[in-house]
Amino acid sequence: MTPNAEGATVVAASVLAGFGVTLVNFARDESVDAQTALTFLVFLIAFGGLHLAVRTWAPRATTLLIAPIAGLTALGFIEIYRLEPVRAGLQRWWILIAAGVAITVLALFARSSTTILRRYRNIILLVSLILLLLPNLPIDWGFPLKGLVVNGSRLWIVLDMGFTTLQFQPAELAKLGFVVYVAAYLADHQKALREARRQVGPIRFPEPRQLIPLVVTWVVSILILISQRDLGASLLLFAGFVLLLYAATGTTGYLVVGGFMAAVAGVASVYMFEHVNRRVVAWLTPFQHYDDEGYQIAQGLFAMGTGSLSGAGPGLGRPDLIPNASTDFIFAAVGEELGFAGTVSVIALFALVVAVGLGISFRSRDMFRKLLAAGLTFVFAVQVLLIIGGVVRVVPLTGITLPFMSYGGSALVGNLILIALLLRISHEEAT
Amino acid sequence: MNGPVRRISIGIFTSFCVLLLAVTWIQVVHADTLKADPRNARPALSERGKERGLIVTIDGTVVAESVVDPADPRSFVRTYPEGEAFAHVVGYNSFLLGDSGLEEAYASVLRSKRDLTISDLLSVILGRDLRPHSLEMTVNGPLQRAAYEALAGQAGAVVALDPKTGAVLAAVSSPSFDPESLLGEDAQEMWDSLLADPESPLSDRATKELFAPGSTFKTVVTATALDTGEADPGTEFPDPLEYELEGSTGTISNYGGGYCDDGTTVTLLVAFVRSCNTIFADLSVRLGAEDIGITAGALGFNTDLNFPWTVPQATYPVDDLVDDPAALAQSGIGERDVRATPLHMAMIASAVANQGLVPNPYLVNRVFDADGDTVETTEPVSLGRAMAPATASVLAQMMERVVTEGTGRLAAVPGVRVAGKTGTAEGAGDGPHAWFIGFAPVENPTIAIAVLIAGGGDIGESATGGAVAAPIAADLISLWLQGSQ
Repeated sequence: MTPNAEGATVVAASVLAGFGVTLVNFARDESVDAQTALTFLVFLIAFGGLHLAVRTWAPRATTLLIAPIAGLTALGFIEIYRLEPVRAGLQRWWILIAAGVAITVLALFARSSTTILRRYRNIILLVSLILLLLPNLPIDWGFPLKGLVVNGSRLWIVLDMGFTTLQFQPAELAKLGFVVYVAAYLADHQKALREARRQVGPIRFPEPRQLIPLVVTWVVSILILISQRDLGASLLLFAGFVLLLYAATGTTGYLVVGGFMAAVAGVASVYMFEHVNRRVVAWLTPFQHYDDEGYQIAQGLFAMGTGSLSGAGPGLGRPDLIPNASTDFIFAAVGEELGFAGTVSVIALFALVVAVGLGISFRSRDMFRKLLAAGLTFVFAVQVLLIIGGVVRVVPLTGITLPFMSYGGSALVGNLILIALLLRISHEEAT
Repeated sequence: MNGPVRRISIGIFTSFCVLLLAVTWIQVVHADTLKADPRNARPALSERGKERGLIVTIDGTVVAESVVDPADPRSFVRTYPEGEAFAHVVGYNSFLLGDSGLEEAYASVLRSKRDLTISDLLSVILGRDLRPHSLEMTVNGPLQRAAYEALAGQAGAVVALDPKTGAVLAAVSSPSFDPESLLGEDAQEMWDSLLADPESPLSDRATKELFAPGSTFKTVVTATALDTGEADPGTEFPDPLEYELEGSTGTISNYGGGYCDDGTTVTLLVAFVRSCNTIFADLSVRLGAEDIGITAGALGFNTDLNFPWTVPQATYPVDDLVDDPAALAQSGIGERDVRATPLHMAMIASAVANQGLVPNPYLVNRVFDADGDTVETTEPVSLGRAMAPATASVLAQMMERVVTEGTGRLAAVPGVRVAGKTGTAEGAGDGPHAWFIGFAPVENPTIAIAVLIAGGGDIGESATGGAVAAPIAADLISLWLQGSQ
């Protein structure tokens, strides 16, 4: 795709968002108002700005990333607007803020290189850990920065600025920091970690001491599960790490040991934590537990089934019957109102983003950048697979947001930084 | 170096394919099941507030109509201007309770096809009409209303048919309810209070409840006797004070005790006109369960009826009666396990009136579109012959004598030849089920009718078909013949 064609797709995505909002309004009260123009302009400014920033500061970057993410954001926004018009207004601000942050990231790297991240890896790790622990701040103390409990999970911090409060999920940024750190660490210790002398059948296993990073990550993941009750983040962290470890070393043993550790922790948590147990019950038998833990999954399935091939149309279904439709279940909302056509498009666009991300990793010659691109893409892919898989009942629901589509500012900021980093790496590695 | 990443990529894209398969399963393969799940409120919600077609009677009375909601000009509310009299047959379209009656049976016809989808847009471009279709019932508005008023709140039912076609002219169940009371937000409380009502206003006694037909079933036994040649109106029978049941200590006696005639012998005609139980118990045993079963079966007993909704099967349990002469004798007078709906008893009257041919009852005359053009017209269907034409004509004469000089004298209409048969069956409640079935005018029948006062009605214990059901039939026949002239 030429840069100009990418510009055209950004305009097309903005038109899609505006048109979708128009359809929702029309279905609601047969009126068309300023929301259409506002939405179109916000998308045009945010993604057009990102597009121009890439052309200015990373001109050799791939032109295949901004189009799918603009499309995904537009589809998600239509459903957010349909479900919660007030939140949609906030989401528009977040789209602008996130694009601004992504543009800033591109600008910051304009004179340097992403390899600079490798040098500051320890600081990045420290910052990430602090970010991750921030939600454990007291909920009610004098300091303006507090923790916040939402749906029983401690994932949020709230910044009380007196005139208004700002809520943020620091884990979304910490996630990126960990990927950067792990990529840097693995790039440094790749050789040592690769030397796996023990062999069981066709699978080579690493030395016990080489398993220390794996065990550390495993413990951290379990701590997240206990302290923040966040199954999704816990799984994401561990899966991302194991995949990257395997990518760096090619030692199948890491996958086997990692998979085994995840399985042990998983099975144990089903018995030990009620919130995990409920998720598994809801996953296996949603209709038998319709009045209780299975309700959300069952409603999601009803929504998608009723949407069938072509969907009810924006604003014409009842995705509002699904609990948390605008966050965890945005995919089911798309399935109900845009139908099979919508869900297949969404999956295809995500697959495209993942394919481009992996392609950037393939083509990278610098080991750190190769691992960074791969790691960012893995985390993105695992997140998409976990949440969509949870909604369509392939895996238990983990309660993480769908990138670019779910309502939520922190996730949008984090994911756009992720895309900005991928774009920057593809520019640096372009020949 | 790219090897591991490539292998992970394969895993990731395989997982994406699994997602695609899962979505295909949910939205394509399994979609209809999910859509139809009763816990899925979406299909019902999408119907809510949409315009539905009209339901009108054949004389043009509007009985169900969608009008613009005063609170929301984009939405419609259903109204039932005729209220209680039509409640069971027209039914209701309630968001909270679902549909019933014709509203349920013809839901796909009455429903608006306008869903504001892109396929609607295409349909409009292609010139298809998305407006809902409407129903014209066979029911006659004034007759239906008069029948409801005649029942005067007593538990009971009236069904009137056109004996030649089976078109339902009236189908009333009493007591009734206001269908509009089940549409609002308090529908569930209304429903619960109606369910708790001991008079059970929600049950459709006309087409969905079975009752012992009592002596009205003697028409079936007589038709069998005439058809098989076992007896004719002049055949003499012994006239005992009580009929002693074979293999049992029980007896069958006549209504109010006493002989049918003078205690010697009595003709079948007199026994029929006076509705003597002793003689019909005797005759049933002589005919046998199998022969009566053949006539009953041809009249639609023990089979499903083709009607807009499921009508419970009228029963004459032949197999149980073959080796049980006591039960056979009791069944001959419409007791024991013989059961039928008033709709079914009106069909039997129709068969006699229609020279032995049984018409299939139907409720909807035609379906028409928003421009009033007919989309579909119901063609009357005959269920076949239940008795020879000669049998039907002799039976008709016997039934006429019931009205002129027998138990059904109160069904007489001045200047009109009315034929009928009364019945007083043991009911479960405070009194007997009082029946009258008949048709008029005998020379060219235009109406066949079944009237039931269940559980004795207002007078309880002393109610008889001749006393409480026959007068209602007379009024309705009179009204009908005035109207149709």
